[in-house]
Amino acid sequence: MRRATRTRERLKAPAFAWALAAASGAFAATEPAAPPAPAQWLERMNQALSTRNYDGTFSHWHGGTVEMLRIIHRQRDGHVAERLVSLDGSGREIIRADSSLTCYLPDKRTVLVQERPVGESLVAFPAVSSQTASNYDIREVARMRLNRRDTHVISVAPRDQYRYGYRLWVDDATAMPLKTQLCDTDGHVIEQLVFADLSMPARIPDSAFRPEVSTEGFQWLRNDAPAPAAAPAAATVWSALKLPPGFRMMLHGAQTLPGSSLPVDHLVFTDGLASVSVFIEVQATPAGVGQVTEVRAARVGSSSAFSTVVDGHKITAVGEVPPATVRLIATQVRAEAAASPASTHP
Amino acid sequence: MNEELDSQLSAMFDDELSHAECELLARRLSRDTELKSRWGRYAMIAAAIRAEHGVRLHVQVAHRVSALVISEPALGAPVVARAAPPRWWRPLAGVAVAAGVAAVSILWLRGQPLLPGSAAQPPLTAAADAPAVSTAAPVAVALPARTPAGSDSYVVPPAAHGAPALVPPTEFANYVVAHSLYTAPVARGNLLSSFMTSESGTGTAAMLLDAPQDPPRDAPGHAH
Repeated sequence: MRRATRTRERLKAPAFAWALAAASGAFAATEPAAPPAPAQWLERMNQALSTRNYDGTFSHWHGGTVEMLRIIHRQRDGHVAERLVSLDGSGREIIRADSSLTCYLPDKRTVLVQERPVGESLVAFPAVSSQTASNYDIREVARMRLNRRDTHVISVAPRDQYRYGYRLWVDDATAMPLKTQLCDTDGHVIEQLVFADLSMPARIPDSAFRPEVSTEGFQWLRNDAPAPAAAPAAATVWSALKLPPGFRMMLHGAQTLPGSSLPVDHLVFTDGLASVSVFIEVQATPAGVGQVTEVRAARVGSSSAFSTVVDGHKITAVGEVPPATVRLIATQVRAEAAASPASTHP
Repeated sequence: MNEELDSQLSAMFDDELSHAECELLARRLSRDTELKSRWGRYAMIAAAIRAEHGVRLHVQVAHRVSALVISEPALGAPVVARAAPPRWWRPLAGVAVAAGVAAVSILWLRGQPLLPGSAAQPPLTAAADAPAVSTAAPVAVALPARTPAGSDSYVVPPAAHGAPALVPPTEFANYVVAHSLYTAPVARGNLLSSFMTSESGTGTAAMLLDAPQDPPRDAPGHAH
């Protein structure tokens, strides 16, 4: 506890965050299947990222390009506010208020608004667990000074080729990842985030979560219709015939997306760390019937996407995984016979 | 951003500013958030260049200033890459060759089966433009892919092929943004950062089956 006291003084962290950290520590201590220490650092880091207040500037390196971004995150009275801004280049912003997301795309003169029904609680991403440990080799490989801070260097190595790994420089005092490397299955770095500046203020004003970009003349695309509470598209139940090893379905539900009035089925699969979303829509153009085998694959940064058509439905898988993984998942999704549409709503 | 300040900042990084001017600027840095973030940007890029290309920059001054800028509770400073190589690690420099053949932010492969490890397949649509270099950050350049150890050889970016964009960007954006709520916090940073920085200055991007470019998808007459 002495260390915690010291760091609180140094960082002026809000007391509630420390209470949370203490609570999670106690939980880990009493939980019979407590993960080993390196995995705890991973979990603490996830906790810090989702529960602390912070405001930081970081570099994003991918494919030989470096861009600076700023992230502001606040948790107050159980509400999450977050703003991510591209400081260079596109000038894009994503602003989150709980589970509603507004995405400003100045380069497309477009604003996307994904509203969620009031009161809908978001399904929390599962904690680091034995599932995580069975798919990744999690180790503390070094302790080093980074930016004059003590960090634990945590290596999260994938056990097969269906997922990426991480190397994380986790701040000893705050559990924030001061540096994050995403690595392919061979351990090559494919993406890197490094904080240049990070503060953890006790209070962040609402004004910090307003967009800087002027939206004059932009087209606004909203999902005005609230996610249909009990009507996934045609009550069809979708599932995957086969999944990459270690993946399981985390939830399935339906929602509408900005620019469309049709509900989209949304399935989420996870291996305990990586996740893949599958979106299923009735195909817009009936002409696509003859092109069942036609597929599209894409990458955005280190993320992969894969799109195919099954039974007149467009099925798109998106995730922070290698291309083969989204492809395998997308091509294995099938409609089951109509059944009880009871489901979790993403 | 004041141009004079900007050039002072730049000069400081090049070690061309007098001691007194440095002190003045440092004091200003400590209370000007915008300037501080600019400083962070310079520091980062310098760090990235050092780490990835083994280039030595004048960092002494920057370090001195960092002491002021990073006064608690803020963190941050130029990143000093140190070697700690367990078995699974590879040097970052090698990545530029393996993965970063060009500043290609989005690749679309049409009708090609993707096999595990098929990263070497040629992209049919490649946005090879360098990202727009913001005037506000003169050193924010696209670092060219380079062989490790500062050798003089370059990897030639692949020629961009003229395949049409296939998917309205807004639809793909919708998917990525909706997916972001269901990612582990650590993965979320990577996902959204990639999304924010993709297609900068290119305006390509697309992914919709057999649909014309960029229409709103709720055209009337959809049978459901």
